[in-house]
Amino acid sequence: MKLLRIFLRRFIMIDYKRYKLEKEVFQKEKLPEAAYRFIGIGTDNPYLRIAARTNSGKIYTLHIELSSFPESIPEVYVTKMLKDSNGKNMSGASAQMHTLTSSGGWTRICHYGYNSWTPMVSLFKIYVKCRLWLEAYEAHLKTGNTIDTYLVHQS
Amino acid sequence: MKNENLIIYLDYQDILTFCSGHLLYKEAYAYEWENENVIHIHLSKKCHQFGQMYPALFAIDNKKTMQDKQFRFHVFIEKILPEPSVSVFVDGVQSDFYYIPDRNSLFSRNKGLLEKDVLKSKKAMIIGLGSFGAQIAVELAKAGVGKFSLFDFDRIELHNLARHIATVNDLGRLKTDVVEDAILGKNPYALVDKFPIDIDKNEELLSSEVGKSDIVICATDNNSSRLNLSKELVKKNKVGIFGRAVTRAAGGDVFRYRPGGACYACLIGHGIISKEEISSVQAGRLSGAIPAYTSDEDAQAVVQVGLAADISPICNMMIKLALLELSKGTESGIQTLEDDLVYDCYIWANRREYNFKNWHVFYQSGADRTIMRWYGVKVHKLDGCPVCSTDIILDTGQKGEYHDPENSDYEGLALV
Repeated sequence: MKLLRIFLRRFIMIDYKRYKLEKEVFQKEKLPEAAYRFIGIGTDNPYLRIAARTNSGKIYTLHIELSSFPESIPEVYVTKMLKDSNGKNMSGASAQMHTLTSSGGWTRICHYGYNSWTPMVSLFKIYVKCRLWLEAYEAHLKTGNTIDTYLVHQS
Repeated sequence: MKNENLIIYLDYQDILTFCSGHLLYKEAYAYEWENENVIHIHLSKKCHQFGQMYPALFAIDNKKTMQDKQFRFHVFIEKILPEPSVSVFVDGVQSDFYYIPDRNSLFSRNKGLLEKDVLKSKKAMIIGLGSFGAQIAVELAKAGVGKFSLFDFDRIELHNLARHIATVNDLGRLKTDVVEDAILGKNPYALVDKFPIDIDKNEELLSSEVGKSDIVICATDNNSSRLNLSKELVKKNKVGIFGRAVTRAAGGDVFRYRPGGACYACLIGHGIISKEEISSVQAGRLSGAIPAYTSDEDAQAVVQVGLAADISPICNMMIKLALLELSKGTESGIQTLEDDLVYDCYIWANRREYNFKNWHVFYQSGADRTIMRWYGVKVHKLDGCPVCSTDIILDTGQKGEYHDPENSDYEGLALV
């Protein structure tokens, strides 16, 4: 049984080397150290919490799952349930709003296309794409236009 | 009087097994293909037989046991050296029989082309037992590969049947079991290890099996598993063959990783490969190729699989490369292929559609790119590859380059 348990352990995708590199990119791009935190590195539940300030000055916290990163596209959530311009929860998967099915009461952002994904994509790039999504989201709140108006779909 | 209109097969290995023990008799299994006069008799129960099964008896003493009417089929064995004397009775009448060939004569037709003694000791690890992996497994078994490690957590479903080696009788069965039966049907002496699990969730097992294998075939339907496998191939210095079809199997590509060369992540990083075939809604949703916001109706439209005939050439190239790699260093009859198959990636078009829509019509195509021809591509190691390079360079979005896999027509590639 012990052997079976060892065999059935989940992958721990993000290794220490990659974690260090990702941190170096954040430093190079001058992201304040207080704005992000890697949690659970070396465990089977690693994730990144990172704050994103939009042009309007609002701050959102992004939760990026790293358990299958970088081999798979990481799941990205805004750590609350966002409302659309009609006051409805953004909990469902929507092509127009670039969202996927929410989890744990958090809105999930669709940030990368399956066919475009490569394991070279940095967490910084994902962060930038999600920042753009947040800008588009705020524009949606102001105008009622769908997020699709501002962002193109990726293959 | 002899029963001459029956075709009876006995497994010679069974006779040897019975002789090596001290039993006077042992119950066995006879499979009769009714109205075909064909009977196969085995000591052990066969799981992939379609004939009607009857109890049979292997015995030393023919006088006592012949009176036992419970058995229609009797196999009497006299332990005479150097070869036992065997006679078969059906309904009390002696019948002629043939032997299911032993290991040495099983692959006699490959003589001169493949070294069966070399191949029987080689282990092929096959990940993904869909229409690609299953076909490759059977072909490698036919070639005489003696050991297999099979990975797939899926079961046979109705939509698989059009392209898979499985039959209607296999519906609901684990693909690992179906493919094991198919392998043993071709080579009853093959050793098969089955792992009906998801490799993305079992790093240690994946790593250990890659380490034990002589060749690794990746026939999965998503990049996540290909990249996980690629990491292990690089770590363990093993050769891996990756193959896939693009949308509607309008074509496909085969990539070979050789230690020290470009890996699958390099291939993806170079943007060489195009949008791949999604074989089922379930698989597409699982991998993320069909986003969650796609309705079931739209998702069905995305699933555009090709014909079995369209994936066969791609499987065939994977098999050739695998046999070439397994035969390396031996005096095999396929050695000349080493001078031909020198590329890392091979591209094939079945029809001038999707990514191949701009390719030349086959008729009078000359040196232009066209259908039904293999094109080889040398893939260079990607600078800063996160899998095979020591100095990783991450994509921070500064370059601004975007490769659209949907519209790639391999333009700019030196296809040879």
